[in-house]
Amino acid sequence: METRPDIAWLEVHTENYMGGGQPIAYLEGIRADYPISLHGVGLSLGSADGLDRAHLGRIRDVVERIEPVLVSEHLSWSVVDGSYVADLLPLPMTEEALETVYRHVDQVQSFLGRRILVENPSSYLRYRHSTIPEWEFLTAVARRTDCGILCDVNNIFVSAANHGWNPSVYLSALPADAIEEIHLAGHSIRRLEAGGVLRIDDHGSYVIPEVWALYAEALARFGPIPTLIEWDTNLPALGVLLDEADHAALLLEEAW
Amino acid sequence: MPTLLEVQRAIYRSLAAGDDAACDELIVSDAIPAEARLGIYRNTFLGTLTTALRLAYPAIHRLVGAEFFETAARIFISADLPRNAWLDDYGAGFPEFLAGFAPAASLPYLPGVARLERAVNRALHAPDAKALDLSLLAAVDPTDHNRIKFAPHPSVSLVQAEHPIDAIWRAVLAQDRAAMAAIDPAAGAVWLLVERRATGVEVARLTEPGWRFAAVLCASRPLQAAIDAASEIEAASALANLLAAGRFVGFELLT
Repeated sequence: METRPDIAWLEVHTENYMGGGQPIAYLEGIRADYPISLHGVGLSLGSADGLDRAHLGRIRDVVERIEPVLVSEHLSWSVVDGSYVADLLPLPMTEEALETVYRHVDQVQSFLGRRILVENPSSYLRYRHSTIPEWEFLTAVARRTDCGILCDVNNIFVSAANHGWNPSVYLSALPADAIEEIHLAGHSIRRLEAGGVLRIDDHGSYVIPEVWALYAEALARFGPIPTLIEWDTNLPALGVLLDEADHAALLLEEAW
Repeated sequence: MPTLLEVQRAIYRSLAAGDDAACDELIVSDAIPAEARLGIYRNTFLGTLTTALRLAYPAIHRLVGAEFFETAARIFISADLPRNAWLDDYGAGFPEFLAGFAPAASLPYLPGVARLERAVNRALHAPDAKALDLSLLAAVDPTDHNRIKFAPHPSVSLVQAEHPIDAIWRAVLAQDRAAMAAIDPAAGAVWLLVERRATGVEVARLTEPGWRFAAVLCASRPLQAAIDAASEIEAASALANLLAAGRFVGFELLT
């Protein structure tokens, strides 16, 4: 932050700023110079037993203090019976799960008094009783609750590869008017001891060419949408991050 | 068809307790079996929580080494999952877990250092709160003074241990081998006050009666109880010091 790089906006994990003291004070300082997007990982929009009101209250406190441009969460679940299973777990794609997510997105938007974005997760398993394609599920959530969509292009690629979907079909099924942010990231390829290969969304490397190509498709369809590159493990030098951001900026410019 | 709650409980049992029994019927197994798919999530979940504990207990991590820490953390995690995603607040039960963890028994000061680290972590992340406005206190009728109960600043903790845990904690975090070697773990008990100041977290040694006095007040018991608990000290100046340092954020009168 000392070099004040020329970047349009910054995104942080909401959960890292829920206390007092230096972290939130530092973020407030950055907020004076850059718009901030608050990206949550722990609200668990898909919990069968309801939203955690105390956690929602902590999110509201951060939102009130930081006044972010965007507030986002994931199409996933992490909490059951009052325990936080620290990962973004996939939902069964069923009518019951859809009703649950509708209800919770409505509750969050009315509690915060603003629109939120919901992001498609990367996933490594599917449920036998799922009946709705994920892209239809996400589109239905956006239509019904009027939330926006945070389209993670890398997650589409990863999930499509893991489950045998066509990533272009996924992308083209999403409602263009609901897309308000795009995420890009690197991922890794893991060969499992049990046999088979899974792509793992670990935010620890360069965006691969196939994902850049899918991003170009996304921009062609959605227009120039604010884009964030997630690189939060195995962090490289700032210059490498800025080069990746420049790559995205170049494609964004072409989309105007 | 399983309900959403049944699905989530089954996944929870798999990740937290390694019980995959119900998952085979739920999850698509093809070239990759359901257990291997769940294993990806289990690794992330355990890794995230182990990292949260390591960040909250860095001195414990250094004292016992990475491998021991990971083993202890995994046993603790499976028994004491976080209640929510504010992981800066996770691990309150870790010191007590270590106190009962037989493989750690050869380091008798370990649970004390862990309690200190918990207090430091709490001081780091406690909510911001304004110090008590002393003019409000001045308005209290002097005959009511002994009935005052204070609300402590949320960053303040009082920690007591039978070993010089503050010296151990400092030397370990500074990786100062000479200082570590110079510490006599049997040097005796310490009475500590941990809090967040404008410049960062501070760990200060108090006298034993001064600690008792502060501990009673920080437990929101009335001033008279603190005076009774520490009759050997000058209560007025001890209280003035606590107030001047902004360690209270409010008060009420015992009714």
